[in-house]
Amino acid sequence: MSLDLEKAHEPRDVDISAAGRGVWLVKVPKYLSEQWKTCANGTEVGKLRISKPRVSSKPDIVFTSFDVSKKAGPVLDSNGLIMPTTSTLPKKPTMVGSKNHKFIVTNVGNQNLVVMSQLKTEIPGKDTYTERISVEGKVVQRAECHPIVDDQYKQLKKDQVQAQNTPQRQVKLLTTIVQSYKPVNDHISNEERKTKKVEKRSRAEKEKVMDVLFNAFEKHQFYNVKDLVGITKQPVPYLKEILKEICNYNMTAPHKNMWELKPEFRHYKSHDETT
Amino acid sequence: MSSFQGSSSNANSMSIPQEEFIVRIPRDTRRKFTMMKMGTGSALDFAKLGDQPVKIERENNLKEYKTANDLDLVPKFGAGSEYGKDLKEESRRKKYGIMLKKYNPEDQPWHLKVGSGKSAKRYKGVREGTITENTSYYIFTKASDGAFEAFPVEEWYNFTPVVKYKYLNSEEAEEEYSRRDKTFNYFSIMVKKRLKKEDETLDEDEKDTKGKKKGKKAKDLILTDKDDWDDMEMSDDDDDSDADKDEDDDTNKNKKKKQKGGPKKVVKNSKKNSDDEAVEESDEGDFDDKEVDYMSDSGSSSSLSDLGEEDKDKKYDEKGVDQEAGLRNILDSDAEDEEEEGEKEEADEDMDDKDEKKEDKKKEDDSSSSSSEDDSDIEKDAKLASAIFLQGGKKEKKDKKDKLESSLTIASETKTEQRIPTPDKLKDKSIKRRAETPDGKTPSLKKHKTDDNEGITEDAIRRYLMRKPMTTKDLLQKFKSKKLNMTNEKITHVIAQLLKKINPEKKTINKKLYLSLKKPE
Repeated sequence: MSLDLEKAHEPRDVDISAAGRGVWLVKVPKYLSEQWKTCANGTEVGKLRISKPRVSSKPDIVFTSFDVSKKAGPVLDSNGLIMPTTSTLPKKPTMVGSKNHKFIVTNVGNQNLVVMSQLKTEIPGKDTYTERISVEGKVVQRAECHPIVDDQYKQLKKDQVQAQNTPQRQVKLLTTIVQSYKPVNDHISNEERKTKKVEKRSRAEKEKVMDVLFNAFEKHQFYNVKDLVGITKQPVPYLKEILKEICNYNMTAPHKNMWELKPEFRHYKSHDETT
Repeated sequence: MSSFQGSSSNANSMSIPQEEFIVRIPRDTRRKFTMMKMGTGSALDFAKLGDQPVKIERENNLKEYKTANDLDLVPKFGAGSEYGKDLKEESRRKKYGIMLKKYNPEDQPWHLKVGSGKSAKRYKGVREGTITENTSYYIFTKASDGAFEAFPVEEWYNFTPVVKYKYLNSEEAEEEYSRRDKTFNYFSIMVKKRLKKEDETLDEDEKDTKGKKKGKKAKDLILTDKDDWDDMEMSDDDDDSDADKDEDDDTNKNKKKKQKGGPKKVVKNSKKNSDDEAVEESDEGDFDDKEVDYMSDSGSSSSLSDLGEEDKDKKYDEKGVDQEAGLRNILDSDAEDEEEEGEKEEADEDMDDKDEKKEDKKKEDDSSSSSSEDDSDIEKDAKLASAIFLQGGKKEKKDKKDKLESSLTIASETKTEQRIPTPDKLKDKSIKRRAETPDGKTPSLKKHKTDDNEGITEDAIRRYLMRKPMTTKDLLQKFKSKKLNMTNEKITHVIAQLLKKINPEKKTINKKLYLSLKKPE
């Protein structure tokens, strides 16, 4: 995990070979982008028709969106896995049929917009991945794709509003008897676990217990009594008796209520054998 | 815009040259597109970089994240580690419903580095959250077959150059702007700023060290309980004999009486008219009325039996002590006695010296006071004893108790003399005293004045240092515990000054600097 994080912060080379390419940045209405997201890869979603009425004037651009609702194939997420189809969900109101849009082109002005892409490729057999970062080009033209407000669009908006306003939970009348159970606090399965737990701990030889303790304290400096009981499997009074011999009990803030070895038994720096 | 509303057939009918492009969703959607806003007027153009290396990395905020959430602050294994700490923390968080946000390196700002070495330009890209919330942007690129490919833009980053050079902050800029008409050389502004900065940093350094010192000293000056301090005092005074101590206590008691008498007397005087007062003062050797005033079991016989000249001084003395007493009325008397010991001893010595001198003058008129002080200790002691016993003999109305006490006083006197046995030193002292009192004024008056001002005298420090080696800390503690009406800084300052003057021997024991003075042989 930490190695992974280290890797995520590594400086990466940026591929700037495609930096000179000019791209368009297009603002797309939401219903279109939602449609496009559900499309299979490589689907043709529309057509741009650029016409120049006169030589000097700005070109008229019309964007015609195709009806892609039938073409919606299995949707792949960014990892190339097939996402669950959304057919179970209530269907969102979508535009049916092809439709023209205004395509208004504006200049970028003095904004310096650069497109960058990240391509994650997983190394097969390993858990890590490599990320290729490259500059995909510079925005040379900004455009906004405006829907033309006609009856169709109005209908779409109406549907959207209605869909938005339908409550998510509704009252349903039940005609059959519903089986309901009284809640039970203690199940039979719990019972078994309990009986196992009450198993009595017997006192072992002091030497052995101390060995276990020293081993434990080699790994960590501070222990709670409860944990030590779990580790040594000794009865609490007996364990405390031994602890008092070789350990100090912390009663103040940073390691409150924890035991640590007396200084004479400690060998943390050199990691020596404590016996 | 009827032309837009018109269908394609309409456009065709106008027979205008037009091009058609297919827009499609790209085949490869694994690429994630990010918009880099380079800031207005930024000269960075990736196309013109040539073969300069461009590197990008995520800002590493892991440490900040961890410290902010108290994660991994203690080691997981070995010294300082707690068993099962992580699990416990997690369960604690769960219990209190704290949802910890996982650290995601993808959420960190970008660091873009263009070029290498020193000439590298650095940019920092911070994600802009608001743009993509309600709108969707697509990048249209031309594919090889002439069609447009639409890539969704997922994130927007605002890249700004990282400024490394110094610049005027808004306040400074404001200031400079306000005197822009007076500035001849605009190039010097930054230079001036740099110089100023350097000065400041120097000052700060000094301040830092000073602060550290101060801090250390402040730390050294631990407020101790009275008991603790008493203990310390006791241990300090171990080298003094018990008799001495008792004696000191007794003399102190006497003093105390006087102190107590002081304010009473003042009140009385204020009630009485001045004539009466004058009569009382002028009466030499007649202590009847005063004895009534100071009626007590121990009686301050020795001091009272002193000659009349001292009465005046005593009054001043009392006043001074009274003032002091007023300052520290919180303390109970014993502690006060202990604390004042040093000063008192001094005063005692003074008085004793005075007595001595007087007696000497009486006994042997030709011998000067200085010569008497030059005499050996034994001689002096003998003289002293004889003098006082003579005195006792003279005044037969004194009862036994007084005598006993006076003998005790002698003991103490001899003791103090032994402590500072050099005649040279005494001489020094006496000279100093004389210097202090050029026109016959008694030293105690002056002395007290200085005590009120400082409370820390060279003599006192000398005495302490001669007794045993001390650290400056100990010294501070000594004076601090006297509850002088001074700030810590002032005390340290005064002590430092005096130590410079004294220039004691320095010795490092256990990494602490001990100061000491040799007892002069």
